[in-house]
Amino acid sequence: MKIKLDPRTKLYMIFIVSAVVMMSATTPFLWAVRILMTVIPIILLMCNKRYASAIRFLFLYAVALVLTFTCITEDSKGIFMAFLVGYCAIIVQFAPAMITAWYVVKTTKIDEFVSSMQKMHVPDGITISLAVVMRFFPTIKEEYAAISDAMKMRGIRFGGGNAVKMMEFRMIPLLFSCVNIGDELSAAAVTRGLGGKVKRSSIVDLKFKVQDYLLIIAFTAVLAVFIYNKYFMK
Amino acid sequence: MDNTLTNNDNIISINKVCQQYKGAESESLKKVSLNIKKGETLLLCGASGSGKTSLIRLINGLVPHYYKGEMTGEVTVAGKDISKTELYDLAGIVGTVFQNPRSQFFSVDTDGEIVFGPENIGLEPSEIKKRKEDIVQKMNIENLLERSLFDLSGGEKQRIACASVAALLPEIILLDEPSSNLDIDAIENLRDIIIGWKNEGKTIIISEHRLWYVKDLVDRVLYVKNGHISHEWTKEEFNNLPKEEIEYYKLRPLNIRTDYFHLLSEDKNSDSIDNNANIGLGLEDKDSVILRDFYFSYTNKTYVFFKKKFKESDGSFLQLNIPELRLPKGKVIGVIGHNGTGKSTFLRCLCGLESNCKGTIEIDGKEYKGSQRINLSYMVMQDVNHQLFTDSVKAEVMLSNKDLSEEICLDILNSLGLLDYKDQHPMALSGGQKQRVAIASAMAAGANLLLFDEPTSGLDYSHMEKVGELLKELASMGKTVLVSTHDSELIETCCDHTLFIEKGRAVSLEKV
Repeated sequence: MKIKLDPRTKLYMIFIVSAVVMMSATTPFLWAVRILMTVIPIILLMCNKRYASAIRFLFLYAVALVLTFTCITEDSKGIFMAFLVGYCAIIVQFAPAMITAWYVVKTTKIDEFVSSMQKMHVPDGITISLAVVMRFFPTIKEEYAAISDAMKMRGIRFGGGNAVKMMEFRMIPLLFSCVNIGDELSAAAVTRGLGGKVKRSSIVDLKFKVQDYLLIIAFTAVLAVFIYNKYFMK
Repeated sequence: MDNTLTNNDNIISINKVCQQYKGAESESLKKVSLNIKKGETLLLCGASGSGKTSLIRLINGLVPHYYKGEMTGEVTVAGKDISKTELYDLAGIVGTVFQNPRSQFFSVDTDGEIVFGPENIGLEPSEIKKRKEDIVQKMNIENLLERSLFDLSGGEKQRIACASVAALLPEIILLDEPSSNLDIDAIENLRDIIIGWKNEGKTIIISEHRLWYVKDLVDRVLYVKNGHISHEWTKEEFNNLPKEEIEYYKLRPLNIRTDYFHLLSEDKNSDSIDNNANIGLGLEDKDSVILRDFYFSYTNKTYVFFKKKFKESDGSFLQLNIPELRLPKGKVIGVIGHNGTGKSTFLRCLCGLESNCKGTIEIDGKEYKGSQRINLSYMVMQDVNHQLFTDSVKAEVMLSNKDLSEEICLDILNSLGLLDYKDQHPMALSGGQKQRVAIASAMAAGANLLLFDEPTSGLDYSHMEKVGELLKELASMGKTVLVSTHDSELIETCCDHTLFIEKGRAVSLEKV
């Protein structure tokens, strides 16, 4: 079963989850809500056939959670325990945001994203620049790999040499090629009408469906519960 | 005066245009005048830097709107004065296919790319979908839909680029060296696309170094030199130009010698190449570079604790499968084959970039394994910008070998004609000079096996010739040179042998 969400729903999810991870869970009920909120994006990942990453996240989160509740008490002492407490706390606290962001990035196409931004009346200037940034990541990755190969061939390696030089060797060719590609890219884009005065249309037809409404309600509820507990309960 | 031009069916008219880019030392176009009729197909030829690209940019408006500079004269395209027309208003009129498929895509997937133009000019979604279906059907690219642009081969990328330009239904189509990164099959494909456009009555202007595939498509040929149009031929005149004249103009030949590629055009069925042919010209040990056990695949075999070694018996799973191969030492060997059949993989494995490939190289009775291969060999990459790291040519060479004395360094630079540039920044040099800096650092590192990945793609005839001579010179110094190429003219200029690779196997090694 494949669940396809509207990009606006996804953005809303990110927004809520990042707000909630900044508030701490104090009662068992809040913990339950928080865990539920984390499980939702994992399930969504599975629905999009991203089993490997879903299982990895689930495992990571579950282990951190179990450790937090069982092994770590107020009397925990020693360096090892200090590290363990630190790691587990960070994972338990921030994994929800990480997983949601991963899900959104992996399942949203650029044109869907652009079209949803347009529907929300975000100015084209912002939308297009964000789209270009997303378009550029794979390019940077390709260029970076090519430069790494070249360095390997020249026998330039980390260790031995100094770190500043290493950065320089990597960054200079990378910057050069990214600037060149960016320049050619925008020249090609303007010859195909980018930046015109007419309103850009989109063949991506975005509509909220049942699953979008359900998720929006669920996440709003989560936020409401946390806010109520933080500010209105004494 | 301009108003009359549209009446006598000139769709493009360029009137006494001079143009100089900002920061350039001289004019790129000098008083160019040109009229093009509707439905004409035009070929622009001439050396790199002669002004072909600037001419193309005049017509699509990138000059003066995107690339700034000084410009005088008038350009009228389809009745519009270019200098007063915004670029986005030209989008539905002029379409441009650029040279580098890597940098002309705005989307990351093929579908998004085809509809990008129509979306920009705000067409109705239903109309866009209709256009997309039309184009896809016409260009026969169903199999490329819903793919990531980063996974496509050069030829496939260029087809998507053509489709996305055609989706705007422009009357005028410009192609700026479209075949630079393509193999012969992909060029044939491009040719079919151009024929299709021609039959639709579009006005087509092609700037190109490779002439054989366009020579019978064009109505007129313009020779551009130093910023002006110095010659003009009709199709008949051009096709009958004597060989000497073609050479005089430093143009690439009108006919390619297909015999190097006879294996390319034959449809080999996969059975016949399942077994590695016993090739190697019967070379003695001392005259040869012996490669053994080159097996490689980009996907790993499933493993539990340790990666499994690749073996010959893995058969079709492997992207490279060469149990033993003898290459003649001190020669220039052209590595040929289709796009995506393992030429680059072969070179990458050979120079040790793929550490999962456990092949060994034997030269003069000495065997090189694993990372020793990196020291033995050096690859000059297609985009040479990636392998220049320092701020001066001399430092670049010294970087390869810390123990190198300054004398030897200068010697190497001298032998490559780079001595005058020793204190310049490598990035400030021309493409050919950069290539030579990379070669210089390879020589400083003491590499005996020099590998070149498509060194002449997009080069004009005289630059290609220079690269060819350089390769020959390297071979005469005793280096073994392997060059992967689609360029039959390069093979003719410099290669002693051709090695044909198909589906990761070395199929034949022939003398040129």
